Amino acid sequence: MKNRLKVLRAERDWSQADLADRLEVSRQTINALETGKYDPSLPLAFKIARLFGQSIETIFDDGQA
Amino acid sequence: MNKHSEAGRRYMRRFIPTMIGYVAAIFGTSFAFRNPDLAGPVAWALAIAPALPVIGVIVIMGLYVKEETDEFQRRVLVESMLWAIGLTLSATTVAGFLEMYLHTPPLQSFWAFPIFCLTMGLSQLFVRRRYR
Repeated sequence: MKNRLKVLRAERDWSQADLADRLEVSRQTINALETGKYDPSLPLAFKIARLFGQSIETIFDDGQA
Repeated sequence: MNKHSEAGRRYMRRFIPTMIGYVAAIFGTSFAFRNPDLAGPVAWALAIAPALPVIGVIVIMGLYVKEETDEFQRRVLVESMLWAIGLTLSATTVAGFLEMYLHTPPLQSFWAFPIFCLTMGLSQLFVRRRYR
């Protein structure tokens, strides 16, 4: 699934490791999310949305809208 | 295994003493069976002793999957385990038919778990690459 994680992270000047720490996941997880190869579970998607202060729909695009 | 997570560290804390127990059981049992008169329930108990830490490792692997909070790492591991189950069952099935029809040397069934571990390790390399 396409997402804006990389952009949101760059806007805050965070490295993948910084974001990984904030979400309590590994850096590999951030990489798999950013490349769109792994879609997060609903709880992780909520955690990401809260961290960036945005809704899930503005971060993730399932191509259906 | 994700060495950096709390679940990964817990896995190692359980795995290392269990493997030490395994080595001790192998040595102990091998030594005991030098006695040709060993028989009865004691022989059964000693023969089964090395299997117990192996079963322990299987439980420890299961606990890791349950306790790992990083869902992506868990996914990679579970996918690798599924590949390993398929590969182990395929290999042992092939070996079984070779033994039956071509009388190749029998593969002792305790090899199933080491084969599973080896194929899981190899599968992880491929599974991880797919997500990169």
